[in-house]
Amino acid sequence: MRIVIAEDLYLLRDGMVRLIEAYGHQVVATAATGPETLDALRTWRPDVSVIDVRMPPSQSDEGLRAALAARSEMPGLPVLILSQHVEQLYARELLADGSGGVGYLLKESVFDADQFIAALERVAGGGTAMDPAVIAKLLAGTAPDRELGRLTDREQSVLALMAEGLSNQAIGRRLFLSESAISKYTTSLFGKLGITDDDNTNRRVRAVLAYLNKP
Amino acid sequence: MRQSDAWPACVGVGFVRACAVAVISMLIPAVWVAAVALGIWWGAGNPWSWVAPLVLVCAGTLTLSRPVCRIVRLLVARWTATEVPAGYRQAGPVTQMSTGYWWNGFSYERTRRDALMDQKWRLWWTDPAVWRDLRFILIAPFTAGAVAALPLAGVGAAALGLGQSEPVARLVGVLGLVVAVAAAPYAWRPVEPVAVRFLRPSSVMALADRVDELTAQHADTTVAQAAEFRRIERNLHDGAQARLVMLGLSLATAEKLMETDPEQARALLRDARSGAAASLAELRELVRGISPPVLNERGLVDAVRALALDIPLDVTVSADVRLRLDPPIESALYFGVAELLTNTAKHARAARARVSFVRDDTGVVIEVEDDGQGGADGRPGGGLDGLRRRLAVFDGTLEIASPPGGPTCVRMAVPCESS
Repeated sequence: MRIVIAEDLYLLRDGMVRLIEAYGHQVVATAATGPETLDALRTWRPDVSVIDVRMPPSQSDEGLRAALAARSEMPGLPVLILSQHVEQLYARELLADGSGGVGYLLKESVFDADQFIAALERVAGGGTAMDPAVIAKLLAGTAPDRELGRLTDREQSVLALMAEGLSNQAIGRRLFLSESAISKYTTSLFGKLGITDDDNTNRRVRAVLAYLNKP
Repeated sequence: MRQSDAWPACVGVGFVRACAVAVISMLIPAVWVAAVALGIWWGAGNPWSWVAPLVLVCAGTLTLSRPVCRIVRLLVARWTATEVPAGYRQAGPVTQMSTGYWWNGFSYERTRRDALMDQKWRLWWTDPAVWRDLRFILIAPFTAGAVAALPLAGVGAAALGLGQSEPVARLVGVLGLVVAVAAAPYAWRPVEPVAVRFLRPSSVMALADRVDELTAQHADTTVAQAAEFRRIERNLHDGAQARLVMLGLSLATAEKLMETDPEQARALLRDARSGAAASLAELRELVRGISPPVLNERGLVDAVRALALDIPLDVTVSADVRLRLDPPIESALYFGVAELLTNTAKHARAARARVSFVRDDTGVVIEVEDDGQGGADGRPGGGLDGLRRRLAVFDGTLEIASPPGGPTCVRMAVPCESS
């Protein structure tokens, strides 16, 4: 994969480049500020990019804004946002266009290199990778009287893992169920959320969005 | 003030008030007259016979001046709703020093009693408010007191004149009655401007009061700040620092075991990794408590939006503008909203809440409303009182409307320039 890395701290940027190259991927460009990030994304159209939220010059959410701007120009451009803290607010903004290819993880997720690279590959493939902390908060915030209240407990936990970005096979392993059982649950929850047949990845993102945005 | 439209009531009330003003303002002159009378009675020719009356005049004036002025302020406030602040200097604390002496803010004394006495006299002697009172005592009888005595004098003339048979005396009596009735509704009124002019603290005193207020706020801030630093220090000391020591220890042991026991070394490395993750989580919580990252990245309104998503309530946030305020004010308001929403979630039994930001030409107003059971109060020492004090540092205010049964609406207003 061709990857762009945007991170303002030199040590972290360097470490990330080495980690990613150790897994046989290619880092085509690095950026240390918001405008540089946007330029790199436009120039290289990478298979996936790893972007820090807070960057110079303003030390505010430059990275996040660059990612959102790039995705509005190039819909579906896969981005993985890394941050010292995760906010539901940012997660919703990232997911809002419903086109997938989005990740949002805490920086310490790089501690588990295998899982981190797997998440990166999933995002590159148009899937999602959401930090469990965000998902837990997102799900805790939903009131029981919502339409989603009609989901069974099992369907809700499948949805939560789906929101993290796991495949049916991985969800099955987590919940100690067979892949076919999981696919039965996903079909029934897509039905309950009113999500029609579509290409599979987008359907999964849309299910999560439906979950978040149902009034 | 209760306004009575009926003319007789007006005259009656006015007469009573005029009498009160006249009596109060003539009280001290009456003491002087009594002293002079005493002097004459004892023998006007002998200079020594005037010593006692002189002492009486001084003592009477000094002891009566403060009660008289206090009553005038009280009456003016009750009748006209004009508050005339007293502005007397407050006695500072009397404390025992390590040397055993007592310090009263002016001097060292051997005993607490001496220190209190000394402080009392010095305060009395140096307080501008005392001299202002004395000046008022001298001026009032000849201004407000003289006017207020008019209805009383009229009634006196009527009582004397109407009792006699001569036509001239009767005419004087009737005139006196007319004057009394006509003047009654108005005669007490000059006391207000006179009190405002001569009893109100000077601008110097008002400034001194403001300095006292600011000193108290400053003390509040520094105490709160020191407590906050201690909390951060404790958190770092017991949390992240201890974990980093553990991390170093695990790594050192793993290095040692690498050759002899690779399996255990690997386990130690795994521990080290999870320890690093745990200390990051702790630091994140700590940072959130000092200065929430979203606040720095997005400003107040979005930070409150992010907060609202994390609160287990249906919270709507409405803002007419994207505010960017000074960081200290932004932070105080953010933590204010956070505290209010947490209160709502914990105590109000509310289903939904609303946070609204309004910006006007003097500052920013934030309202936090819920549909809960109400009953929130700002009693001293409580959480809302603390919030009020933190806002006061920015000359901000906190208003609480929370009748039992709800709903609750808390309004924070801070004057500021927004950019």
